[in-house]
Amino acid sequence: MDTTDRPDNAIEFRSLAKSFGDIEAVRNLDLKIPRGQICGYLGPNGAGKTTTVKMATGMIVPTSGTAFINGINIVESPLQAKLMIGVVPETGALYENLTPIEYLSLVGKLYHLERDAAVEKAEEFLRLFGIADSSERMMTGFSRGMKQKVLISAALLHNPDVLFLDEPLAGLDANTALILKELLKELASLGKTVFYCSHILEVVEKVCDRVVILNRGEVVADGDTEKLKEMTHRTSLEDAFTELTSEEDLSTTVRAFSRSITGKARGASNEQ
Amino acid sequence: MSSRRPRNDRLRHGNRNSEEAADWGQIRALFAAGLHLDLRSARARQRNRLKVPPMISMLATYAIIGSILALSLVRTSDPFTFTLLTFSAAMFMTAITVIMEYSSVVVSPNDYDILAHRPISSRTYYFAKVANLFFYVACTATALNLPAAIVVGFRFDGGAAVGFLYMIMALLACFAAAALVILLYSTALKLFEYQRFNRAITYVHSLATVALTFGYVLLPRMLIRENVTVAIEKGRWIWFAPPAWYAGGVELSVGLGDSRNLILALMAIVSAILVIHAALTMISLEYSRSIAELAESSTEETIRKDRRTLRTRFATLGIMFCRNDEERAGFQLMQIYMRRSRKLRLRIYPAFGLPLAVYLFGLVSGGLNDPLAPRPVESTFPVMELLGFYCVFITLFFASAITQSDQWKASWVFFAAPLENRVGLLVGARKLVIWRYMIPFFCVLLVLMGLVMPPQSALLYLFITFILSLMAFALLSMASPFMPLSQSIEKTRQARQMGLIMLLGVAMVFLVAITETLRESRLAGAGAVVLLLTLACLSEIALRKRLASRLAREEFVG
Repeated sequence: MDTTDRPDNAIEFRSLAKSFGDIEAVRNLDLKIPRGQICGYLGPNGAGKTTTVKMATGMIVPTSGTAFINGINIVESPLQAKLMIGVVPETGALYENLTPIEYLSLVGKLYHLERDAAVEKAEEFLRLFGIADSSERMMTGFSRGMKQKVLISAALLHNPDVLFLDEPLAGLDANTALILKELLKELASLGKTVFYCSHILEVVEKVCDRVVILNRGEVVADGDTEKLKEMTHRTSLEDAFTELTSEEDLSTTVRAFSRSITGKARGASNEQ
Repeated sequence: MSSRRPRNDRLRHGNRNSEEAADWGQIRALFAAGLHLDLRSARARQRNRLKVPPMISMLATYAIIGSILALSLVRTSDPFTFTLLTFSAAMFMTAITVIMEYSSVVVSPNDYDILAHRPISSRTYYFAKVANLFFYVACTATALNLPAAIVVGFRFDGGAAVGFLYMIMALLACFAAAALVILLYSTALKLFEYQRFNRAITYVHSLATVALTFGYVLLPRMLIRENVTVAIEKGRWIWFAPPAWYAGGVELSVGLGDSRNLILALMAIVSAILVIHAALTMISLEYSRSIAELAESSTEETIRKDRRTLRTRFATLGIMFCRNDEERAGFQLMQIYMRRSRKLRLRIYPAFGLPLAVYLFGLVSGGLNDPLAPRPVESTFPVMELLGFYCVFITLFFASAITQSDQWKASWVFFAAPLENRVGLLVGARKLVIWRYMIPFFCVLLVLMGLVMPPQSALLYLFITFILSLMAFALLSMASPFMPLSQSIEKTRQARQMGLIMLLGVAMVFLVAITETLRESRLAGAGAVVLLLTLACLSEIALRKRLASRLAREEFVG
């Protein structure tokens, strides 16, 4: 697609909703993410972040509403929309009995890349990520971080316009995490759009232009970090996040945990 | 160098056909990757357990079974009878293997997380899965039928050309059998909504096994009555027995070209094409969506609260037989997984269809006679022995299933925990299977057999069979000495173990010998039963020793 053909919003959710039986995982989500923006998508466990990513990437079908990628309806034309996206899934799922090169070569074929070009690019990615030595080894013995590097490579291999990253820093060492953060800024400056799900608030604060906070399937805040701090009268994103999503006093929870672990409340034997 | 970007401009204006079409480049890539994944068996190689690649040992197993079958029929006088029997066996084994191992591949959301966000059409995804399945069917069918093809080439006029034609018909027959099973699952997927399908599929599985076994047992029954050394009469039944259609095709090739054979051959080819076509097209368009819904309904299934039914209460009672915490942990883990894992149930439930099919056949044919009667009713077909054999055979499913899981990585906890007795985990899991599945199943059989023979005879016969089953279970567990749910699900594992179960012909010798002894003298029979119990105890002791030495060296590879 020529850039002049593209709509201003790279990602658009219209009344996006998903239910699992009686449980409403995501409720009527309306969101527009302009091209070139890095949008942080935050929320406590079970808030509906991964479900949103799955719907937006065509992995599951919304109960109602839809998502558009560069103006293409993911429900109606999934293949066309999927060609434009790169995904790093939260599960870290990949074929571990393949070598990184075989896996990336497979991914290249699925996106109709020429074999030699895909392999060359894959080798380059692996070299930049510092795992070129392991490119011919099966991934069964890889650490979480090494697998994550392969997953990120797979997401970027076909040069997608839109990136959906669900906890992309999981398992990565500090240097690689730093590279990735800078790379995302660089890609955004080139017009790529990034949908960034994470629990690491410091990273979101540093990397993202905009932060959307989800709680119980609904958007409870949307804006840049300064706006969120202002809105909650807090000085950090972490405090703002807690204010918006937590119903309990965290220090009380910590004390209850401690009591439960040491068993002091029950007068356990370790008192001696 | 930059790689070629997908041409989004063209795709954006693409019509619905481009969304639905099969992409052969993608199919090739997915097929090749699937083979890599299956053939590597990385974990096994890392642990240096297998000297022979699993695929090779599986094919060797099938070749041995095929050789035994072909040689046992070498005296058969006409090509029709020979091919009818060998094709029946090949089609039955293919269908059962597809049911046991591969059907869950086609209707499984296993790799959905990896592929669902990629631009793969539903048809492409489905064809890649079916191609993988058909590759295995081609390999196993070749190994199974090649010995018979060689016998046909030498035994009947026509030589190598007939052998070649035999192979073509055999492959077609096996593909049709596999396609029929896929069609059955596709139909179930179409008929039931996904949540219900998830629950119904295990019963569909079991019913398919009953139907197949029933059909398979029926055919030799007819032939034995006719005496296989002479040419059997082609009655009206040949039009209803698919193996006969393919046999007609082979008979044509040896120059026995009557019009009936021609029609049979045409029926074989046309039916195979129709079944394969239907299997390929029936759900190909909605396959991705179906698998996505299946993946979702699995999520819902885990959300659903467990109900404490009478069955779960009964299962829990079995924990009394566990001697230590490790056994209790293994017992409870297996109990929970059996209740919640559809995949595990899928691997076990069809087993019960085998003896039940033989029982049904015995009812229909009047072959369910008191095996301990002093003067037994003359029977042309060994229904009781076959029933006993399948009761022993079901342990193959148990032994394989209790060590495998797609969540095998969670087994790190067994290595991290300060366990004094790792053996106890598997022993506990085995106890759950015996208590929760084998004992109730034998009780059901006892009631069913008590309807057609004296209850005390049924009880004694089933008791002997039960002890033989326990011995078989111990033998198979020795060959698969792993902690519960700690192995990845490998396609070829169960098929390889099938070779081992063939050795359980020995168990049948025991069964026949003991029943004969009991018939002749109750005292000598009692002695034989005591001997059997002693052997069962020894096999259990041997199993524990083997497990202790094997599991002590076990390391977690995750």
